[in-house]
Order: sequence, then C-alpha cells, then structure tokens
Amino acid sequence: MLSISRDTRTIRQNEDDIGAIALCALRNLDHAVAVIDPGGRILLENSTFSELFGGEAWAVELLGSIRRAADGVDRTGPRNVHHQDGRIFSVETVRVPQGLLVAAEDVSGRVAEKARTAETARTDVITSLGNRLMFRERLTAILTTLVHPADAAAVLIFDLDRFKAINDTLGSSVCDALLGIVAERVRSAIGPADIVARLRGDKFGIVQIGRPQPESARALAKRLVDLLGRSYIVEGHLINVGASVGIALVPADGGHTDQILKNAELALNCAKQEGQGSYRFFETVMDEQMQAHRSLELDFRRALALRELALVYQPQFNLTSKRITGFEALLRWHSPKRGLVSPADFIPLAEEIGLIVPIGEWVIRTACEEAVSWPQPLNVAVNVSAVQFGSPNLVSTILSALAQSGLDPRRLEVEITESVLLGDHRASLDTLLRVRELGVRVSMDDFGTGYSSLSYLRSFPFDKIKIDQSFVRGQSDDPSGMAIVRAIAGLGQSLGMATLAEGVETEEQLARVATDGCTDVQGYLISRPLPPERIGEFLQSYRETAPAAATAQHRSRAT
Amino acid sequence: MATNLYRLVYYSRNCIEGTAAEVTAKVNAILESAQRNNALLGVTGALIFNAGIFAQVLEGDRQDVALTFERIQRDTRHGDVQVLAFEEVQNRGFPAWSMAFVGRSREGENLFGHIGEATGFEAKRMEGERIFEIMRAIAIEEEARAAA
Repeated sequence: MLSISRDTRTIRQNEDDIGAIALCALRNLDHAVAVIDPGGRILLENSTFSELFGGEAWAVELLGSIRRAADGVDRTGPRNVHHQDGRIFSVETVRVPQGLLVAAEDVSGRVAEKARTAETARTDVITSLGNRLMFRERLTAILTTLVHPADAAAVLIFDLDRFKAINDTLGSSVCDALLGIVAERVRSAIGPADIVARLRGDKFGIVQIGRPQPESARALAKRLVDLLGRSYIVEGHLINVGASVGIALVPADGGHTDQILKNAELALNCAKQEGQGSYRFFETVMDEQMQAHRSLELDFRRALALRELALVYQPQFNLTSKRITGFEALLRWHSPKRGLVSPADFIPLAEEIGLIVPIGEWVIRTACEEAVSWPQPLNVAVNVSAVQFGSPNLVSTILSALAQSGLDPRRLEVEITESVLLGDHRASLDTLLRVRELGVRVSMDDFGTGYSSLSYLRSFPFDKIKIDQSFVRGQSDDPSGMAIVRAIAGLGQSLGMATLAEGVETEEQLARVATDGCTDVQGYLISRPLPPERIGEFLQSYRETAPAAATAQHRSRAT
Repeated sequence: MATNLYRLVYYSRNCIEGTAAEVTAKVNAILESAQRNNALLGVTGALIFNAGIFAQVLEGDRQDVALTFERIQRDTRHGDVQVLAFEEVQNRGFPAWSMAFVGRSREGENLFGHIGEATGFEAKRMEGERIFEIMRAIAIEEEARAAA
C-alpha cells in the first residue's frame, strides 16, 4: 500500500514549487480544465480542454453558453453537455478570483452503461419486446401527459389460448421460440408509435396511440386474433394457438395505470369466457360482475368457519327391496346476508378458489359422523369433485373420517362425475382403487350429460351409475330420454352395476324408470333432501307411505 | 436418412380486392416478390391461384420453409391460411422451380374452377398430398409447353 502523508512545512517552503506541481497535475488530468477571465480570455487550460473547446465555432459557442450559465453564480453543474462527436461531458464551473474555473469530464461510457442497464431492465429477454416495467412506465407517462381528449389511446391486453398445452407437450424451448414469433407478428401489426410489451408468460400488452378510437383498437384486435391464430412453424413443429384480446380505452376506462390495466384484463377474461379467438371492450358491468364475484368469495370464505354450511340428505330407494337404502349428502349454504345460496353458484367458486378441498373434507367427516347416529345402518353418499381428486390427501381424509366416526366403510359411498377421469386418468384411477380397497363404494354421478364415454365405465368397476335427472324428467312423449335411460340401465345390468334414476318426481316417472330396468331411484317423489334431525322421523313414517307405483311395479315385474 | 428437407403445402383465401386488372397486378406483385425471396432462400415450390384461393407447395431447408411460411402468415393479402401438410421429405417434388403461377392455364381452370364453383371453398377437403400431385402435374405440363 502506498501511504500518503501531508507535510504542511513543504507547502510554506516554496510557493513556486506548488505552482509547478499544480500545473503538472492539471496537465495530466483526464478532465478538461481551464480558468477563463471575465473578458473571455483563457488564462490557463490543459490539452484536453483545448482539444474539446478550441477551434470549431460550435465548440466556442458551447463554451459561451457554459459561461453565460455561470454568470453571477458561484457554482454550476455538474450537467451533461453533448459534444458534437457524440461524447457526453459532465461540466462544472466554479467562480475563482481570476474568473471562472471550468471542468469537464467525459462521461459517455457511464451514460451509455446506465442507458444499457435501464434498457436491459425494461426489455424482455425472450421476445426483445419491452417488459411489464417498461409497459407500466410508458402507460403512466401517457396518462400524466394526457391533456386533450384527442390524445385518446387504447390498451389491448391479449394472451394465447392453448399455450399451456403447448408448453406441456413440446417444452419450454419451443414455447420461447413461439413467443418470439408471436412478438414479431405483433410488431408487424402495430404502428411505429405504439408500445408493445410481454407482460408475463404468454400475456402481452399494447398501447395504441394517436388514432381514432375505438375503431382503431377494434381493427387491431381483429387483426391480432386473425394473425396470431394462424399456424406457426417452430423448430419443425406445426403449432396452432389462438389469441383473445381485452381492450380498455384511455382515458374513458380509467385515469391511472393500475385501473386501466385491471379493466383491460377484466375485458380479456370476458373475451376468454366467450371462447377462443375473441376480443372484448371493457364495460362497467364487467367490473360490477367481478365485484359481485369477489364479494361472494369473501362471504363464502367465512361460511365454513361461521358454520353457515350444512348437509341435507336425500333418500335413495331400491326398487327391488322396496326399501330406503341410504341418503345422498347435499351441501347447503345458508348465508345470513344472501339467504339460501344455490350450490350451482358456490361450488364452482369453491373449486376456483381451492376451498373445495377443505369443504369437501368437512363434508366427508360430517356425513360420516351424522350417518353413525342414524337409527338404521343405511348408506351415505358424498360427492367428491375432480379438484379433490387432484389433492393428495383424499384417501387419508376418507380413512380418518371413517376411523373418527366409527362408520362401517361399506356404508360410505363416493359419487364422482366423469370429469374426475378426464384429467390425469391414471392417477385418478389409482386413487379410486385405493378408496375401493377401504371397502368404500364408488358411483358414477350425472351419467349421460358429459362425454358419457363407455370407456370410463369399463376403466373402473363402479358400484352404481346415477342417470342424470334430465333424462328421467323428460316427457313421456319424448322417446329419446326414455331410450337413454333404458340403454344405461341395460348397460348397468350387463356390467353388474346398479343404476339409479335421479330426479324422480311423479309416480309415472317412477313406473317408467322401473320398467326401463333401473334398480334404484332418488327424487322428490321419495323425499326432498332432509335436515339430519328429520331423518329418524322420515324413516319411521316412510314405511307406512311408500309410493304405490314402486310396490306395484315391482310386483308386476316379479310375476 | 435425415435430409432437413421439408415440404409444406397450404392453401389460403385470397384477400385481394379490386377490379380484374387490379387483382392481376397485385397477384403478379405477390408472385414476383415470392420468386425473388424464395430464390434467395433456396426454397422451391409451386403456386396455384384460382377462384379466390392460393394453394402453394414450399420445399427447402426447415428454417427456410419456416421463414417463408412466417412471411406469408404476416401478409394481409393471405387470409385463412390452412396447412395441409408439413413433413420431412427425401426429395424435392419441384426442384427446378422457383415458383410457378399456373392458375392462368386452362388445365388449372379445369382442375380447380369447378371446385370453387360447386362449393365455394372446397379445396380444404383435399389432402395436401393430392394437391401436391395435382400441382406437380400442372407444373410439368406448363414446363413442357414453355419448352415447346
């Protein structure tokens, strides 16, 4: 290490020496330095300074402007001054007894580096478009400088339909390459003043500037849907994706960045709900629907803790034994604010926000506990959604619910819809088999409404097929519903599975499904769903008032 | 054997509007630029334009075919582009052709005119292979006539 010591005696010794040292230091500085007297005469300058400001007229003029700025001021700068050769100097001035000390440092490299860093921080590596940061900054800048309605702009947010499937099947390198081509197509569709960025994943944003709205945004959205929906060739793969677009107008649909982006995203969500390859402009009602959805979510999140959820039980009746065989547990939400909320409204919500897993667990535990207290050892059926099958704890939840309640596993029945088998077929089948190994029964719910693939029935030995009520309730002059009931009943018989007709409301329907070969029924004719405290009473009274047709039908079939 | 030689067959709706003369001029412009670009890339092929349809075969290195295809996809004059075939091949079906506009020939009219007439837009029912075979037959015929 070099140590520096300051010897003040040396300075006093020889003022001339000091002057020589200072001059030497000045000459060897990289900075351009000069002292200029009030008349504009250069008293002292180093070679860097004379190189920069000597000679050329524009340089002399630049020096003049620096001096004018320093007029009557002790210090100016540092401020960046652009030299004609492209270099950038940071210029400072200090007033000294002899006039003005001017110092200029070449900061071109530093400025360029800073610009590069700023550029990198705002560039998306995969597509070379701007990124979210850049998009937000530019949009904010537009919003703050917006003074005139004629400055209207449009924000378009779009993403790619089926992108996840491509990622899953072809991998991320193909996907990155695809995003690159998408970016190029987008660039080819927008104007030079427009701003485009990849916001995240397969989501992009455009700010369309200086054009008549909304027609320009509509034209661009149409073009994007067409252009991005055309086939791609990526690394030898022919790929088809679609694009959906949401549009918010500036300033009509929001005065600040977050609001505009949120509204464009809302419009995008609505476009996607309409199907692939569509575009939507933001409408206030979208926001209202979203708020309503959000409010429902907030209430629903509290429902379980506040004990607003309850189970009711709908009896199932066997046509052969003419007995009640068990009950299907159905979930009800009694909201103090909303009244009785339909499961059609809150079950999809519960699935969407992931609450279906804890709620499903509560249903299984509660149904097992309540079934144990029934006066007769009847079956209890619970609905298990596809989302629950995706959770790793389903089997252990069932096991623990059985153990805690002491319910005989053979009395528990799990009802699934075919959506369970749609996703990861193999994993779902494994789970189903493990459930079966516990002794629990498994039935296929709502059969006939979805894909109704016969291969589902073959892939797992279901105990029971439940025929959707839409076929059962069909008018007697509608032969197709009846034919479907008959076909499924025949199928069940061949496969050794019971067939239960849902939604039986009249004696006539009961007679018909019995003739068609169904083994079990469920519906208002037998009973509406009952609160747990009324099950005992129901079982007591039911023995005396069994539907006539069930008995009669059975008798006629038996003879 | 991997050749890296690919063949792409597609058809698209012709989005050019205007009078017959304007349409002819614009189609000629498309053909000229296509011939120029494809020659640069070493992409060969054939093109049929008729009854509002472009049907085209592109052959070349995978990247070159992809580049050419991407340029076509971004071209507003093409609409509803449907790929009929994209596959690796051993040999070029159109090795000597940079690009051929064969729609003007009577044979072309005969082959495709009735399709457009009868159903409006029936070419999509034809597999790429068949269009390719038809195009090759027409191209060879045109070539023979030019040589005569």
